Amino acid sequence: MKTAQEMKANSVALIDGHPWLVQKAEFTKSGRNSAIVKMKLKNLVNGSKTETVYKADDKMEPVILDRKEVTLSYINGEDYVFMDPEFNSYELRAEDLESVLPFIEEGMTDICEAVFFDGKVISVDLPTTIVRQITYTENSARGDTSGKVMKPAKLRNGTEVKVADFCEIDDWIEIDTRDGSYKNRTQAPTA
Amino acid sequence: MSNRWDIFCRVVDNYGDIGVTWRLARQLAAEYGLVVRLWVDEPAAFLRLCPAAEAPLSGQCIEGVEVRHWPVVFPPVEVADVVIEAFACHLPMRYVEAMAARQHKPLWLNLEYLSAEAWVTGCHGLPSPQAGGLPKFFFFPGFVDGTGGLLRERNLLAQRRAFQTAPEARGEFLAHLGVRPAGNTRLISLFAYENASLAGWLTALAADRQPTLLLVPRGRIEGELQRWFGAQPSPGHCWRRGNLQVQLLPFLRHQDYDRLLWSCDVNAVRGEDSFVRAQWAGRPLLWHIYPQEEGAHWTKLDAFLDLYCSGLSPQAGAAQKSLWHAWNGRGNMHAAWVAAQPQMAALSSRAEGWCREQAKRPDLALALVRFHRNWLLCAA
Repeated sequence: MKTAQEMKANSVALIDGHPWLVQKAEFTKSGRNSAIVKMKLKNLVNGSKTETVYKADDKMEPVILDRKEVTLSYINGEDYVFMDPEFNSYELRAEDLESVLPFIEEGMTDICEAVFFDGKVISVDLPTTIVRQITYTENSARGDTSGKVMKPAKLRNGTEVKVADFCEIDDWIEIDTRDGSYKNRTQAPTA
Repeated sequence: MSNRWDIFCRVVDNYGDIGVTWRLARQLAAEYGLVVRLWVDEPAAFLRLCPAAEAPLSGQCIEGVEVRHWPVVFPPVEVADVVIEAFACHLPMRYVEAMAARQHKPLWLNLEYLSAEAWVTGCHGLPSPQAGGLPKFFFFPGFVDGTGGLLRERNLLAQRRAFQTAPEARGEFLAHLGVRPAGNTRLISLFAYENASLAGWLTALAADRQPTLLLVPRGRIEGELQRWFGAQPSPGHCWRRGNLQVQLLPFLRHQDYDRLLWSCDVNAVRGEDSFVRAQWAGRPLLWHIYPQEEGAHWTKLDAFLDLYCSGLSPQAGAAQKSLWHAWNGRGNMHAAWVAAQPQMAALSSRAEGWCREQAKRPDLALALVRFHRNWLLCAA
């Protein structure tokens, strides 16, 4: 058993006998040192979706899932096609990728993990750290070099993230995909 | 409509948990004719709030509520139609199994903590599917539409207004407590956790031109008062320094504590239960929030201040925020209190306005009853 707090996006829990994919999980401190987790769940049998809340320490039964390394092949509208090293392709809808969608963009080379339930691909996990390029941000307002002052910046797919004030357009940055936070400025990834 | 409700209360510390659940239980029984059973794991806490009760709590009916001790080994009992676990307590496993075994499953509600944070509306009323097909939902009290509202008895505000407009009622109540303030004395009630900011506030009150009588129901703050005065209280449970007099009061029943809040010009309160009651008093208040790990309480404090201060001028709002921050350990309480004095008329007016705004929303008991009714309709 795991606690609700340990159930991350793209994990599957058996709830009252039914497998539910955790599409999104938000942890919040509710009061007096207790906490809740709001989850967006998708029923893997009938496809229905629901929003739920659990106490952070509620026990949940996790389902062990198969995983396979994949990379993004191409995006066609709402369809995202990934490919494994044996050139098998796996197609997912945008709605299946909700937790990672903000960081998926055409041409990305990240080694991802496709997640399978009953032999069927249900989602994709990104690496914890990814490198993305800033396509737009305002000039530094305060000339801060400490990295503590933050400002908004846009990525190639339109996702907005908070970055250090000294970052500029075309800079490459590392992002933590667990919470979407900026980690640091870095070099362009090598092909 | 099924009408048996069980409320489970685990006393973590202080009197907030039992205070809220005891009020809720009484209101559900008195105003909605529901058969309510209140389970409390620490009878001593309940007995302090309700001296009329007798230990051990073995089913005594008090003010229309059956109050039961929640023992470590939970006895086999008939499951109610609505089951409330207060403040995220965990129900006894035996009781949960009995709920699951029932042909018509009861409605299971987790009554959560009070918070003004924006996320509350997104979580209020959401399901929390459980094993055995038990329908469980999260229920959040709150200050805005889309939450479960605040505990407020049907006649509370009428009673409060009648009391506040009858000086003889106030005088009689205070005299009953042994309190006889002089005409120009400012009355302040103090109910707080241990608070490092207390000394600065006492110093400011002692030096103020206006005399203050600080009324303190006995509790955890006494030690700090004694330290500041450097002496035991006099036989009348009083201390005096400069223009400040402090008087200790006995621990008060709910109804008397309400009257104390209604009698005072300013109320210092703590946690959740007294915080809500002070809002219904319509007087300026000073909130000592329950401190949480990693400073999580600051977000909650500021979320409330943002709502509350939206009805104040920028100057009054800034004074209110500085004062509450200082009282909770960020800032100089002496300076914040002095700076807030020119804004007291505005803060008084806001307190009454806030009370009126909040009273327009359904109260927590009504919201729970409606939730149950709607759930039954959906299930039918």
